[in-house]
Amino acid sequence: MAESVLVERFKQGYSAVFERNWPFWVGGVLLAFLGVLAFASGRPWGVAGGLRVWGDWFFYAVGLYDKAPGHSLFLSEPGMLTWALLFGAFGSALLSRQFSIQMAPNWELLKGLVGGILLGVGSVMAGGCNVGGFYSALAAGSVSGFAMMIGLLIGALIGLKYLMWEMENITAKPLKAKEAKEGGVDWKKIQPWLGALVFLVLIVWAYALSFQAYTEIGVLMLIGAGIGLVIQRVRFCFVRAFRDPFMTGEAVATRAVALSVMISFVGFMIIKWSGLRPEMTYVYHHWIGGLLGGVVFGVGMLLTGGCGSGSVWRAGEGQVKLIIAVIMFALSNSLFKYYVFTNKVAQAWGQPFFLPHATGYFWAIVLVCLVMVVWWAAMAWNEETDKFTMV
Amino acid sequence: MAEYTPDEVLDARGLSCPMPVLKTKKAMKNLKPGQILEIQGTDPGTRNDLPAFTQRSGDEFLGEEQKDGYISFYVKKG
Repeated sequence: MAESVLVERFKQGYSAVFERNWPFWVGGVLLAFLGVLAFASGRPWGVAGGLRVWGDWFFYAVGLYDKAPGHSLFLSEPGMLTWALLFGAFGSALLSRQFSIQMAPNWELLKGLVGGILLGVGSVMAGGCNVGGFYSALAAGSVSGFAMMIGLLIGALIGLKYLMWEMENITAKPLKAKEAKEGGVDWKKIQPWLGALVFLVLIVWAYALSFQAYTEIGVLMLIGAGIGLVIQRVRFCFVRAFRDPFMTGEAVATRAVALSVMISFVGFMIIKWSGLRPEMTYVYHHWIGGLLGGVVFGVGMLLTGGCGSGSVWRAGEGQVKLIIAVIMFALSNSLFKYYVFTNKVAQAWGQPFFLPHATGYFWAIVLVCLVMVVWWAAMAWNEETDKFTMV
Repeated sequence: MAEYTPDEVLDARGLSCPMPVLKTKKAMKNLKPGQILEIQGTDPGTRNDLPAFTQRSGDEFLGEEQKDGYISFYVKKG
């Protein structure tokens, strides 16, 4: 049956948006806008906080914790943001026919497990994951964001060194080939419809929440789902920004993250300067914690192949290794935070520091942009010269 | 699409980022110029990663082929 030109055009358009991946820098720009929007609507984007809520509720349900967690599993801001990221990525994967329960060799699954634990512990030390401890923290003007950034670079280097060693010394048993199934449902055709359904449910849910005085949570849910969609369509990866210059020499992701941080910072500063949100919100005291936690988190990211956001969106795509990583991340974050909290291990090593208090808003923007441009330039130089490339 | 006869085959099925590219880089070191490496993978990201990698390494990305449950990528050593 001859297909009309209209249908053909629609298919091309759909394929451009939902099959081919969006450029990295587009992801960086969109994430920055969505992050600023989230901050204006309620709270900055974060992932580890929500995972901790999941972990807290699990341990409460099995009786390890006595008191019910302070944050509601679904209706708290951090919890909702992480659920929304997961379902937004899931829906996006379906719309792009990229959802697939993907098993991995046992050694990879083990890396997912161990890496997930490192992600959980590191994010407690740093006050957040790559998003909450670095990206959103820096955007909010917290100088601790720089501490975690340095930690992440060091951790990524250590993790990469390990992977290079592993490649030479450990031969993992490959997966047994999947047997082709006869007949059955053609999931590839159905996926886009399921994806549309997921987003429809999210929109209806947000609308329903507004009737019960949970409008803000509903808005955060939609923003979170939007972040999930953008991240999955771009296959946006913070790990790449830190790792790729040393692995393949590419600085594409670094540029996108640097650009994204700059735009986010300006957006957050506008919100704080105008008084819409208090200056000290989301500004942390995690100096040593940021640095050390960043290192631990960085190693974890290289082992799992995902960070906070990265593990969740890949879990939404069906990758079993990352599903395991997310579970371990949630559990270990909850446990370690509980240990730190009840044993009063981490007293504040220093005070939270809001950059504009030292430099004023204008020079703070200049300074942050300068740091990002230096990072960008150094990695771009390496792209040409391969002086830092280790592999 | 032309069938390529690979000189070496790298089974990267079930491996997720960054392993397919890392293993490709290692496998390419053992090839002589002009030889073809087939990389079998399942990670959707590999479809972007391999062409980008080969562009930088001076090798030629020949193309990809959808197989049953995985994708075969073909790279010729430069």
